[in-house]
Amino acid sequence: MDTKKLVADMKARFEHNSAKHYLKEKYSSKLCTVEQGGYWKADINTISFLNSIKSKNVVILDLYDVPVSVEVKKLKEKLSDVYNTVMTEWHDEYKELENKR
Amino acid sequence: MTRGVLLFGFNSPKVNYYEMAEYTAKRINHFLDLPVTIVTDSFSVPKKPTYKFDNIVISKPDKDNQFRNDIWINKGRYQAYEYSLYDETLLLDVDYMVNSDRLLKVFDFCKDYACHQNIAQLMIPKGEQEYVSRLSFPVLWATVLGFRKTEKTEQLFACMKMIQKNYNHYANLYNFSPDVYRNDFALTIAHRLVNGHYFDQTNILPWNLMHIWLKTNLFVEKKTKFNTKYTVIYDHNKNGKVKKEYTTIQDMDFHVINKDVFLELM
Repeated sequence: MDTKKLVADMKARFEHNSAKHYLKEKYSSKLCTVEQGGYWKADINTISFLNSIKSKNVVILDLYDVPVSVEVKKLKEKLSDVYNTVMTEWHDEYKELENKR
Repeated sequence: MTRGVLLFGFNSPKVNYYEMAEYTAKRINHFLDLPVTIVTDSFSVPKKPTYKFDNIVISKPDKDNQFRNDIWINKGRYQAYEYSLYDETLLLDVDYMVNSDRLLKVFDFCKDYACHQNIAQLMIPKGEQEYVSRLSFPVLWATVLGFRKTEKTEQLFACMKMIQKNYNHYANLYNFSPDVYRNDFALTIAHRLVNGHYFDQTNILPWNLMHIWLKTNLFVEKKTKFNTKYTVIYDHNKNGKVKKEYTTIQDMDFHVINKDVFLELM
């Protein structure tokens, strides 16, 4: 099926808000990960907090509000790695969709 | 440690659920590399199947449920614990479109069992969550249910059995309509019961279940065996006028509410 023709015939308008919403849903799940017995989301807050910790270990609450004692360096590396990979993919797809009309 | 996917697929007079299960199983093999067991009845199994399941469990269907003027054979889902041959099981609805390996992550987040509470609706960014009743709590979705064979999981399925058998009582208790049996409601109530009427968040997956709701159509550019790219067209009703809106999606798993839309994609 030629979906471009289909869209033109229907006079459908590209909905950027829905596209942004879809991307958020798609990539949010990819940011979730498991490390050192805890469940984490590789987000800016957690990575920034880990960056600010000087000690080798720290206890932080995971996604389910369970306190987990973690090795800071190891968790920071894992979350930073996940964050960079996922956000790069997210950005690339966003750029692609942004050009649609 | 064995892992696999369990599908329930009983044909109704209008819908060939076995065929849908075959289509979904092929995608599960391709994207998740997991074996698939189907629970069905002997009438649903075709003479010349197009797919060989890892295992076929023949079960007696409970046809005592109706939805939109059709028999909806969704009862008996509590038997998943008994029927699954795997240590770690993904119990999936046959109308769930697998387009990536995202479901493998369910196993990482599954201590005893894990399911979705929050949903997202494609093309409806501000879509509302569903509640058991107006003054009650959010629905847990039985569409994707990961579980391990533990005591707590066994209790969960035992509770689902009890709720199915006494559905009118629980409908009365939780103030919802008993007319159509829903596994989502049975799961929601069972989850509360096994946790002593406390809502245990640790069984909830920390991302949303994506629904393709009604009034939303999906089209594929090229009908290949494992297509993952779709154009989504939505009828947006605004001020009494319907405006067509569209977007494109790729490599995204979703649950299709409208069976006709799913069948068109097959």
